[in-house]
Amino acid sequence: MTAYLPIFIHLLLAVLLTAALLGAHALLGGRRPTVAKDEPYESGVWPIGSARERIPIRYYLIAMLFILFDIEAVFLYPWAVAFRDLGVVGLVEMLVFLGVLFVGFVYAWQRRALEWE
Amino acid sequence: MPPASDLALLVPELWLAALGLVLLGVDLFVGEQNKRTVGWVAVGGLLLALVPTWGLAGAVHRPGTTVFFGSYAVDGFAVFFKFLAIIATTLVILASMDYFRASGDRQGSTQRFEGEFYTLLVFTGLGLVLMAASADLILVALSIEFVSLTSYVLAAYLKGNPKSNEAGLKYFLFGAAASAVMFYGFSLLYGLTGSTSLYVIAEKVATVPAPALTVSLALMLAGFGFKISMVPFHQWTPDVYEGAPTPVAAFLSVGSKAAGFAVLLRVVAVAIAPSGLDYVTLIAGLSAVSMFVGNLLALPQRNIKRMLAYSSISHAGFILIGVAAFGGAFGNTGLLIYLFAYMFFTLGAFFIAALIEARLGSDDIPDYAGLSQRAPGLAFLMALFMLSLTGIPPTAGFFAKFYIFAAAIERSPALLWLVAVGVVNSVISLYYYVNVIRTMYLLPPQDPARIQEPAVLRTALWVTGAATLLLGLYPQPLITFARAAALLLP
Repeated sequence: MTAYLPIFIHLLLAVLLTAALLGAHALLGGRRPTVAKDEPYESGVWPIGSARERIPIRYYLIAMLFILFDIEAVFLYPWAVAFRDLGVVGLVEMLVFLGVLFVGFVYAWQRRALEWE
Repeated sequence: MPPASDLALLVPELWLAALGLVLLGVDLFVGEQNKRTVGWVAVGGLLLALVPTWGLAGAVHRPGTTVFFGSYAVDGFAVFFKFLAIIATTLVILASMDYFRASGDRQGSTQRFEGEFYTLLVFTGLGLVLMAASADLILVALSIEFVSLTSYVLAAYLKGNPKSNEAGLKYFLFGAAASAVMFYGFSLLYGLTGSTSLYVIAEKVATVPAPALTVSLALMLAGFGFKISMVPFHQWTPDVYEGAPTPVAAFLSVGSKAAGFAVLLRVVAVAIAPSGLDYVTLIAGLSAVSMFVGNLLALPQRNIKRMLAYSSISHAGFILIGVAAFGGAFGNTGLLIYLFAYMFFTLGAFFIAALIEARLGSDDIPDYAGLSQRAPGLAFLMALFMLSLTGIPPTAGFFAKFYIFAAAIERSPALLWLVAVGVVNSVISLYYYVNVIRTMYLLPPQDPARIQEPAVLRTALWVTGAATLLLGLYPQPLITFARAAALLLP
C-alpha cells in the first residue's frame, strides 16, 4: 500500500494546484466582458453565422460506413504481411471476414445508403 | 492458433451468425408486402439451431471446459442458456409478425424496416448466447455491448412514436453509463489479478486485498444490475418497457435478464467466490430491496406494460435469491429453473398485452374489462400467466419459487430472513396480479365486440400457456436438465 503513497501525493497536489490557480483567478482577476471578448475564437477570422448549425444525418451514415470499411483495410494489412505463415487457414478466415462485410456492403448499397442526394 | 476442432463446439453460434446475414440478404429481395417471409425464415432457422444445441447438450463436457484460449465456455451451463435464448427469440419473432400487421391494420400504415427487425432480433439472440458462454472479461464486455447496441435500436423501433424514441434514448444513456462503470470494475479486476480469464482469476483472487476487490465487484454489479433491472439500477425499466414495441419489451424482460444473470453468476461464482469475500450479504440485500421496490411500485400502476416492468424488477429480486444461495445443492439449479419457467409466463403476459394494444390501441388495465366475454381464450391464458407470476400452483411459477426458496433455506440459516421477505412479497404481488384477473372476469365490457386473435400470435400464446401449465404439472425433465447444467466450477 505504501508504494502508492507518492502517486496519492501527486494526485493531491494536482487537485490543490488547480483549485488554487482557478480560485486565485476568480478572486483577483475580475471580469469585464465586452462584445469582442465574448465572440467564439475562430483563429483570428471573424466568425460567420451561428456555431449551432444542424448537420444532415447523412454525414453520420457515411461516417459509420467509412469506419466499417476503414477497419476492413486495417485488418487486411497485417494479414497480408503474415500471409505465408498463416497459410490456408488464414486465407479462409479472411474470406469469411470479408464475406460478412460484403453482405453489409450489399445491404447498404441496396438500401441506397451510398447515394448522396 | 486454436485447433479447428474447437469450431465444432461453436456450431450453434456460427449457425445463428450465418442466419442473421442470410436474413439481411433475404430482406433485400422480398417485396414490401411480404416482409413476413423474413420472419418465417428466421423462425425456421432458429428452430434448426436447436438441433446442434441438442447435440452439444448430449456430449458431456466437464464444467469449466473452455475453447479459444480459455475465453469461451462450452459447459452445460452455457448450453442451457443457448436453449433459453433461442426459444425466447423464436417466440418473440412469432409474436412480432402479427403485432406489426395488426397495429398496421388499425393505423392504416405498415411498419417500415420490418425485415431488419427480425434480423436484429436474431443477432440479439446470438449476443445472448455469447454472453452466457463468455469466460473472459473481454468477451463478457464485448457480448454485453453487442446485446445492448441491438437492444437500443429495437427499443426505438417505432420511429413515428415519441414514446418509443424516448425509450430508445433513455435505454441508451442508462446503458452507456452502466457499461462504463462496469468496464472500470473489469479493469480493476484485471489489474488486481493480472488476467482477464475468469478461471485464471479464480486461482489468483485469494491473494487480492479485500477492499479493492469489493470496489471492483460493486462497479461490475452496476453493469450486471442494469441488464437484470436490479434495484438501484432499475429506473430505466418502466419507461423503456412502456415505450418500446411490446414484443421488444418482452424480449428485454426475458432474454437480456436471463443472459445478464448468466454473466453475473459466472463472474461471481467462478471469479469472486474463491476470494472468500462476503458477497452473499450484498447480493441478499440487493435482492430484498429489489423485491420490495418492484412490488410496491407495481401496486398503483394502471398501464399493463409499466405494471409488468415493475413486476420484472421484483422478479429480478427473486432470482437474486438464487445467486445468493449459490454453492448449495439447489442454488444454481433453482436459478436456472426460475429463469426457464419465467421466460414462458412473462413472454405470454407480454404477448397478450401486445395483442390487446394492437387491437384496441390501449395499454391500460381498465380497458381489459370484460375480456372474458370478448376473448375467452385470451382471458383464460392471461389469468394463467398472472397466477404463475404470483407463484400459485399448479403453474410453472410455483415450482420456480419453490426451488428458489428451497435453495436459500438449504444453503444457510443466515438466508432465512430473505425467504421470509420473498414470501411476504409474493403476497403483496398477489394484489396487482389478481387485479388484472378481476378486471377481465368481473367488470362489464365497455364494448362487447369480440377481439380477433391473429393466428401466429395465438400459436405463440398457446405455446407459452401450455409450457406454463406443463412445467407446473410435470417439472421433472426441466429439473433434471437444470441439475445437469448447474455445475459451473471445474
